[in-house]
Amino acid sequence: MGAAALALVAVSLPVRAQPQAVDAPAIIKAAIEYWRDVSSYSVSEMAIHRPDWERRMTIRVWTRGNKESLVRVVAPAKDTGNATLLLDNDMWSYTPKINRVIKIPSSMMNQSWMGSDFSNNDLAKADDLIEQYTHKLLATETQDGRKVWTIESTPKETAPVVWGREIVKVRDDYNLIEHAFYDQAGELVKKLTSLEIKPMGGKVIVTRQRMQRVDKPGEWTEIVVREMKFGVDLPASVFTISNLSNPRE
Amino acid sequence: MRKTPLLLTLAWRNLWRHRGRTAAILFALALGVWSMVALAALSRGSLESQLKKSIDNLTGHIQLHAPAYRDDPVIEHRLSPPDAPLTEALAHPSIRAWAGRVRVPAVVASERESAGVVLLGIDPEQERKVSFIGSAITSGRYLEASDEPGLLLGRKLAEQLETELGRRVVLMSQDVNNTVADRGFRVVGIFDGEPQAIETGFVFVGRATAQQMLGMGDALSEIVVRADDRNRLEAPLAALRAAAPTLDTEPWSVVEPLLTLTEKVVNVILIVWYAIVFAAMSFGLVNTLLMAVFERTREFGLFQALGMPPRNILGQVLTESVILLGIALALGNVAAWATVRALKNGLDLSAFAEGFEMFGVSPIIYPALTATDVTAANGLVAVLGLVASLYPAWRAARHVPVEALTRV
Repeated sequence: MGAAALALVAVSLPVRAQPQAVDAPAIIKAAIEYWRDVSSYSVSEMAIHRPDWERRMTIRVWTRGNKESLVRVVAPAKDTGNATLLLDNDMWSYTPKINRVIKIPSSMMNQSWMGSDFSNNDLAKADDLIEQYTHKLLATETQDGRKVWTIESTPKETAPVVWGREIVKVRDDYNLIEHAFYDQAGELVKKLTSLEIKPMGGKVIVTRQRMQRVDKPGEWTEIVVREMKFGVDLPASVFTISNLSNPRE
Repeated sequence: MRKTPLLLTLAWRNLWRHRGRTAAILFALALGVWSMVALAALSRGSLESQLKKSIDNLTGHIQLHAPAYRDDPVIEHRLSPPDAPLTEALAHPSIRAWAGRVRVPAVVASERESAGVVLLGIDPEQERKVSFIGSAITSGRYLEASDEPGLLLGRKLAEQLETELGRRVVLMSQDVNNTVADRGFRVVGIFDGEPQAIETGFVFVGRATAQQMLGMGDALSEIVVRADDRNRLEAPLAALRAAAPTLDTEPWSVVEPLLTLTEKVVNVILIVWYAIVFAAMSFGLVNTLLMAVFERTREFGLFQALGMPPRNILGQVLTESVILLGIALALGNVAAWATVRALKNGLDLSAFAEGFEMFGVSPIIYPALTATDVTAANGLVAVLGLVASLYPAWRAARHVPVEALTRV
């Protein structure tokens, strides 16, 4: 019945391609689900840029659902094997040089992840955006012939989020175009921008994003996706501490 | 009976034969005594205020913990809220108030900065009676209920975090399952504290809120007790230990060993200072007396020739010394007392305060004269001064009349 009713609405309102997603929380949820899919495997290149140097590394990422992720560095040689496991809000890191798995304590969650402009929290809490915020659709505009929703996400009172609000721009194919973090005085602190969106792994996805702090114009981190597979069959054993330190693939 | 007044007269007149010299040594002795007593008063005052501050801030008089908590103050080492026998013991007549706290390490983060702190979950009403926080809020408000969602932040920490009253910050810690526990809190009050480490080292939230965030049920990290007198804790300690034998119940002197250590260090510094000042003083005293004795070699020879026994000559020189010491002690003590009076409103050392703050010492010192210190300084000067003057007295008494008369 519900689906039929929605279909009817869809027919009667031809402007809105996906009417079931016009409310802001649903757009956010859909965008995160579009990016994470049921599971994924990808190879990306991460470039950490500073005014006087730049560091590049190649990482492989496995994800399953919204709560499980594993990241492993495969190049350059000196960083090979460094890995991060995320299970919900908990995070472990493995460094082959010292052959130790370290549970990232809460005190380190605000620190930078592998020296990049992403904090450990940015990784661990990506899906908090669904539950810990209230979302408001600010604008619907057309950009390069596609519809773009601008959504203001305000953290709930007790949400473990320091930002005053976040402005998220989502394209109508649920690709996240921009994610801006504002402090509680309303000032922009950092911004994640999608620089390239193209077909890969059977979907059209964001393949190049840059995280940049406003107060440090010469510093950013860029992630370029080289290879992407969605819906891969990943056993539960991938997301375990033992697999973190002893890769078996 | 007649001899003592005679000796006294002789000694007194002798002293004023050289007014300048006597005045100089009196001044030196008095200065020494003054420095001993005044320094003692200043260090005692500083120590006392440090002790009082620490106890009033958060330490209280007695603390109860789970056995391993003091070595490793983490969430695993928690205790259940007081049971019936402990509640009864906490009602001991010499216990004025007590409060249960959650106290664990945490990280507080704002948009731009984060800092390691100690998270204190307090019951606002209980806590008001045992620590400083109830009266330390300088903007905003104090916590209103144990389960309220607000947070109190120190002024300096708020500055460091670049946040302010009314903004939200995030607290992160480990919960009972050792997973990350975090939650946003709105800053409802800013507190001022002294030393500044209090402002940067602690954040306060409602106890029930903290217990819920950390998943610890109604468990506590510590119970802090405030008694009538910090120096008479044996009775309440015994009662508490008997009521809760499994807990680690210790007085402030054990909980804050640095305070006891500071007291010991201050004592040692005072003793060293006394020794140095006294050494300098005694050289001056002995020198003055020796000069007086050498000048009067022939006089002493004559006394002896006239039949004065050597012990009276010894007594005469010692009497001089006693008079000198007596006047000097009186002057020195009066000067020290006047100094302490003049500094009644505190000696402000805030020009050097940064270094002071580092050691948790308040930059304003309120001198405190204690009977022990005054007695020690006076006794030391009087007794050892007398001992030191034995040498010139003995030299004087040893002169043989003939030798004295034949001396050029």
